[in-house]
Amino acid sequence: MTKTRIRNLTRLPSPKPLRGGDANFMEQLLLHCATAIDSNDAALAHQILWVLNNTAPPDGDSTQRLTTAFLRALLSRAVSKTPTLSSTISFLPPADELHRFSVVELAAFVDLTPWHRFGFIAANAAILTAVEGYSTVHIVDLSLTHCMQIPTLIDAMASRLNKPPPLLKLTVVSSSDNFPPFINISYEELGSKLVNFATTRNITMEFTIIPSTYSDGFSSLLQQLRVYPSSFNEALVVNCHMMLRYIPDETLTSSSSSLRTVFLKQLRSLNPRIVTLIEEDVDLTSGNLVNRLRSAFNYFWIPFDTTDTFMSEQRRWYEAEISWKIESVVAKEGAERVERSETKRRWFERMREAEFGGVRVKEEAVADVKAMLEEHAVGWGMKKEDDDNSLVLTWKGHSVVFATVWIPI
Amino acid sequence: MIAEDQTISSSRGYVHSSSTTDLVDHHHHEHESLNPPLVKKKRNLPGNPDPEAEVIALSPKTLMATNRFLCEICGKGFQRDQNLQLHRRGHNLPWKLKQRTSKEVRKRVYVCPEKSCVHHHPTRALGDLTGIKKHFCRKHGEKKWKCEKCAKRYAVQSDWKAHSKTCGTREYRCDCGTIFSRRDSFITHRAFCDALAEETARLNAASHLKSLAATAGSNLNYHYLMGTLIPSPSPQPSPSFPFGPPPSQHHHNHFPITTTTFDHHHQDAMKPASSLSLWMGGNINHHHEQVNIEDRIAPQPHSPQEDYNWVFGNANNRGELITTSDSLITHENNISIKENANAATSLSVPSLFSSVDQISQDASAAATAANMSATALLQKAAQMGATSSTPPTTTITTDQSAFLQSFASKISDQGQIIEDGGSDKFFALFGSNSVGLMSNNNNNNGLHEIGNPRSGVTVVSGIDELQNYPWKRRRVEIGDAGGGGQTRDFLGVGVQQTMCRSSSINGWG
Repeated sequence: MTKTRIRNLTRLPSPKPLRGGDANFMEQLLLHCATAIDSNDAALAHQILWVLNNTAPPDGDSTQRLTTAFLRALLSRAVSKTPTLSSTISFLPPADELHRFSVVELAAFVDLTPWHRFGFIAANAAILTAVEGYSTVHIVDLSLTHCMQIPTLIDAMASRLNKPPPLLKLTVVSSSDNFPPFINISYEELGSKLVNFATTRNITMEFTIIPSTYSDGFSSLLQQLRVYPSSFNEALVVNCHMMLRYIPDETLTSSSSSLRTVFLKQLRSLNPRIVTLIEEDVDLTSGNLVNRLRSAFNYFWIPFDTTDTFMSEQRRWYEAEISWKIESVVAKEGAERVERSETKRRWFERMREAEFGGVRVKEEAVADVKAMLEEHAVGWGMKKEDDDNSLVLTWKGHSVVFATVWIPI
Repeated sequence: MIAEDQTISSSRGYVHSSSTTDLVDHHHHEHESLNPPLVKKKRNLPGNPDPEAEVIALSPKTLMATNRFLCEICGKGFQRDQNLQLHRRGHNLPWKLKQRTSKEVRKRVYVCPEKSCVHHHPTRALGDLTGIKKHFCRKHGEKKWKCEKCAKRYAVQSDWKAHSKTCGTREYRCDCGTIFSRRDSFITHRAFCDALAEETARLNAASHLKSLAATAGSNLNYHYLMGTLIPSPSPQPSPSFPFGPPPSQHHHNHFPITTTTFDHHHQDAMKPASSLSLWMGGNINHHHEQVNIEDRIAPQPHSPQEDYNWVFGNANNRGELITTSDSLITHENNISIKENANAATSLSVPSLFSSVDQISQDASAAATAANMSATALLQKAAQMGATSSTPPTTTITTDQSAFLQSFASKISDQGQIIEDGGSDKFFALFGSNSVGLMSNNNNNNGLHEIGNPRSGVTVVSGIDELQNYPWKRRRVEIGDAGGGGQTRDFLGVGVQQTMCRSSSINGWG
């Protein structure tokens, strides 16, 4: 009937570069593809994947590279569901391998954008205030960044406190090699460098590594902290920087009391002096792939956008890590799907349920954050939410990371 | 933007024009405000102008013109109104003509001529002509001014000047040679840099020598700070302090690393190894480092005691040390932190990027995509290429044409997809690249909160209503055809489904 018209549409030039508005178009294609894959419509899935591959070259602009990351993840999902597909779909070059950082490289990497430094500044300011006067300060650093927050904290303790703590204990968990960024030295070596640094700042420090994993809600860590409780005049500080999202939540364990809830409850029972919670403000927990993909697409465009003007090598490393996350969200299921971020609102509910109360970040720290943001690209901004005492890092007005401080109530 | 070089203002000294067509929002030209002559200039929040102000929209050319103010007598041009007035005095005008028009000067606000800019909208106009000029230049202009020391480029000369003043003045340099502009990056790096390990190794070895050489005369305790030695007048009891030991003390005790492992094999093996390795590395560079530093210092009597003079520096207290070994060019700690705090200005960045205009612009594109089925989207992909200018000589790979042909045949085969009645409409819609396909797109999918929640944009036209219904029916059919009984909520929900949050549009492009 309209065959003639269809033929007219078959003349395609080489893929033209797509404007920003076409990101929505990409999103639609991806969402449809996800549906097709999950409903076993291999033919349709194949078609859409093919079109996506042609309209979003992996070396295109940031939107196209973002789409490529999702495309790869969808491919991976499709192949795992229908292994026969792998022979027909082989048009993407392999993804970049994840870089293994030296600690010095990682130190520079975490400061590429304010993504992490934002949380570091806010948390360290709160910690510093909270530990003043204690003779022992015990910091449990649950962080994705392998203790990159600690040197500035040590430095601040040494120089800004009226009386630096006679003893600083730093405890970390050993399971941080399961997600990027990866480092190329052992935690023992890392710790020895930190202890050396603390010593040069005239602070006595002990470094402890506890084998504990997110998959059981860090139960061995909590047990260790229970078995060796705080000594007299010791401040327990728990710094959670982009790590708690890995603890299984209700969508994985499907019980009313998930490991995440249990973790927070047990943390509360340890009566910490202060808990800092820094996480990414996005919901990636939905059981429905399409919803999850939509959430992810409408969040992960941000890191791609922030590094658009960066040098190619660092940008490649960075995008490889984001792609890893996207793969985890889109292609994996069950316990393998580790990236289970929740929104700020949801984390607030959890903290309040666990009987923690929010504390405002000091004005000085807010000013420090602002000054830091000025050194980065113009798109970075910050919101101070008075109603819930949180600080939120924004990119072009969109919420990226939130930083909150909690004390037991 | 209209190319004529015009303004709407009619007071003297401004460039006149006969027609006044380049005003964007003339209807905001509101009632006369009866400002008393001595009204104090109130600063509104940036981007939130006085509602009674007069909105002026200048074309880019006028905005960037350097001599907007012309003397009507001699025609000389000036960048600023004040300069023009000063100049006019020199013409010895009769008293009456010297005065400006007696009408009250209404407060003026200016909008950015760039359509996609948030400041293009009158509610976000800027109150200062210089401000809007700078904004336009900064955001939409070419960055002509380049800093000599670093790679930063600026469109506004004053920005460039301001940057050049601070560029390179505050530097933190690590011994390894890397330079940092921020103290926290420097500290983080330094903690992990091998240069620190080498430095402490060297100094520890030196202190080792010193404690051998020194007699019981010295009653000063030496403390390390940033790898240097500082005399501390009061004897500080620090039993856990690792340095100042008897020579026989093993180095690895200085690093109290406890590894609580349940596997006891590792415990003993790693400890001495890791700490010793630091010291081993240090020895090699010991001599090299020593030579360098001594070269830097003015010649001093070379005695074991005074070998350490150079490291003392200007220690006023522990926290504020300026030494040569670390090459800190500015004061550390409290001073620099305060500077940072003072330098912070209020951030109005979010307003730049939450643009109402962008939404209305892209809503059409968004809405178009939002309600298409998979096949429709694939069609669009093909058609998108076709409607762009297609030179006849473009080579098309056999793969692509084959794909599309097979795809096309697929479409025609699936009888359910294309209804006979609506088929013409189906392709007509695509063929005309019509935007009018779409309608309400304002549902918030409450599962997630992202960015700035905005109510969706409604793009409705009369034609839509007619087309919606066959559209909807078609989509439901597709869902049934493909799913094999499985409900496809995603596709079948219909026009209310939000495909994308409009907040996500802001970030694009």
